Amino acid sequence: MPGFEWTRFKRSLTPYMFLLPALVFMVVFIYQPIVQSFRYSLYKWSAFSASESWKYVGLDNYTRVIEDDIFYTSIVNNIWYAVISVAVQVCFGLVLAALLESQILPRLYNLVFRTALFLPSVLAVTIVGITWQLVYSPATGLINQLLEYAGLEAFKRTWLGEEGTAIFAIIGVSQWQWTGYIMILFVVAIQAIPHELYEAARIDGANGIQQFFHITVPGVRQTFLVMSTITVIGAFQVFDIVWVMTAGGPNHASETLGNYLYRVGFRNDEMGYASALATVMFLITFVLSFVQLRLGGGIQQQEAH
Amino acid sequence: MARLQHAGRRAARQPLDRYRARQLFTQLIVLSLFVVLTVIAIYPMIWVVTNSLKSDVDLFEQTWAFPKEPRWQNYERAWQFGIGRYIINSVIVTAASVVGTAIISTMAAYALARYRFRGQTFLLFFILGGLMLAPQVTLIPLFRTLVKLGIYNTYLALILPYIAFGIPFSTFLIRAYVMGLPRELEEAAFIDGAGPWGVFLRVIVPLSRPVIASAMVIEAMRAWNEFMFALTFIESDKLRTLTIGISAFQSTLRAEYTVVMAGLAIAAIPMILVFLIAQGQLIRGLTAGSLKG
Repeated sequence: MPGFEWTRFKRSLTPYMFLLPALVFMVVFIYQPIVQSFRYSLYKWSAFSASESWKYVGLDNYTRVIEDDIFYTSIVNNIWYAVISVAVQVCFGLVLAALLESQILPRLYNLVFRTALFLPSVLAVTIVGITWQLVYSPATGLINQLLEYAGLEAFKRTWLGEEGTAIFAIIGVSQWQWTGYIMILFVVAIQAIPHELYEAARIDGANGIQQFFHITVPGVRQTFLVMSTITVIGAFQVFDIVWVMTAGGPNHASETLGNYLYRVGFRNDEMGYASALATVMFLITFVLSFVQLRLGGGIQQQEAH
Repeated sequence: MARLQHAGRRAARQPLDRYRARQLFTQLIVLSLFVVLTVIAIYPMIWVVTNSLKSDVDLFEQTWAFPKEPRWQNYERAWQFGIGRYIINSVIVTAASVVGTAIISTMAAYALARYRFRGQTFLLFFILGGLMLAPQVTLIPLFRTLVKLGIYNTYLALILPYIAFGIPFSTFLIRAYVMGLPRELEEAAFIDGAGPWGVFLRVIVPLSRPVIASAMVIEAMRAWNEFMFALTFIESDKLRTLTIGISAFQSTLRAEYTVVMAGLAIAAIPMILVFLIAQGQLIRGLTAGSLKG
C-alpha cells in the first residue's frame, strides 16, 4: 500500500510545516547573528568594508576588553543599576503590592493607585528620557526649582552633567518607570495565594507585618526570584534610556555595557571590538538566565501559572 | 440585668476603639505613601502637558502655574516637524510585526502543543531559548544581514527582526493556553474530515482568541516602543518611527522647550489611549509570562 505510506509520511511532516516559519525567522534573525558575532570578534573591521579587507587579530579584541577602563566603568554602572533596581523595583514593589492587597485601603483607591503607578511603564523610552532631561535640567527643571522652593539651594545640581550624579539620575528614571509595573505583577501573584492562609493567621493573632513575612513572602517566592533575575538581566542589557539621556557622558561617567557597545560599533566604527563586547554581554546574560532556570523560574515552572 | 449588659458593652468598647484608632492611623500612613507615589508617577507628565501650552519665558518664570492662555501654536509647530509621519511609520511597522508574530507564533504553538514528533523538545527549547538572548548581541551581525538582504533602511529592516524577537514569548504564551484547551472539538473536526489546517483555522485559532489578543497587545507595545533597532536599521528621516523621530525632533528644537513638550504630549497620547483601552489584555498577558520590556 504505497499510497498509505505516503499519506503517513505526509502527516508526520505536518508539525514541521507549522513550525517552519518560526524556525526560519529565528535562525536568520537571532541565531545566525549570534554565531556570526563570535566570529566577527576575531577580526578588525569597519561597517562598510568588504570582508576581504578584514584583518584577523585572534583574541586581541578580548585582551583589549580586559585592559579597557571604560569597560570597567560600564560594568560598575551596570552593577549599580542591578542592585538599585532589585532593591526598589522588586523589593519595594513587593511591599507596595502587599499594602494594596492587604485591603487597608478601599478598593476604589487601589484601582486608582494601581493604574497611576503602572502608567509610566507604557511610555516609550524616548518620551520618558526627554521628559526627565527637562525635569533634571539645571535652570528650568522641576527638581532644581523644587529644591529652590524648599530653600535647599545647596543641593542643586546639573544632574545629568556631573560625573558623580549622571548614572544615578538615569537609574532613578528607570525606577520611576518600572516600579509600578513590577508591583502589578506582584499584585497578581499575591491574589493567587489562598485566602484561608491569611484568615487562619489573623485568627492566630498575627499582625500585618507577620502576615507579610510568613505568608506573602513565601507565597510569592517564585515570582520574586523570576522578577529579580529578569531585573538583573535587564540591568546588564540597558541601552536605550542611557543613550537618550546622556549617551554615556559626561566623560564616559554614565556608560553602560550596552551603551558602550553601541558607541564603539556605530560611532567609532570599530566593529570587531564591539563584537567582543557583545560576546561579553552574551556570556553575562547567558549565565544569569541559567541561574534563573536553576532557581526554578524555568519553563515548566512558569507553565504552572 | 440591663445595667450589667451596658457595663459589659462599655468594657468591650474601649480596646475596640484603640484598635480602630490604630487601624485608622495605618490607613492614613498607607494612604499618604500612595498619594505621594502617585504624584511622583504622574506629576512629570502633567508638568510636561501644562508647560507645553506656555511660552518659553513662562516656563522659566512660573513653572508651577497653569498656562494663562494656552499657546496652541506650540502643538502646531511640533506637528509641522513631521510627528504625523513618524506616527504613521510606527503604526505600519507595529501592525505588520504584530500580525506576523501572531500568525507565526500561533502556528508554532499549535505544533508544539498538539503533536508528538522527533526533535520536539529540542525545537521547543530552540524557540524559547530566544527569550534568553539579548538583542544587543545580534545588533552588529543583524545590521550586516539586513544590508546583504537589501532591506536595510526599509520598513522590513524593523518588521522582520521584531517578528523574530516576538516569536519566543508569543509562542510560549499561546502554547501554554492551547495545551489547556479540551481536545474534543479538534477530534470532532478531524472526524468531519478536516485536515490539520482546517482544524487549526476553524478550531484552534477561534478558541485561542483571548490569548492571541494578549500576545498581540504585548507585541504591539514592544514594537511601538522599541529603540535600538529603530535607531540602527533606519537611516532616512522619512522612515523613522516615533521613538526615534522624537529624539531627532528634540535635537533640532533643543532650545524651544515648550514646543518639545508639545511634541512629547502628542507622542504619548496613542500609547496612553491604547493602555486605557487594552489594560485587561495587557496585564493578563504580562502576568502569564512575567515579561519585562
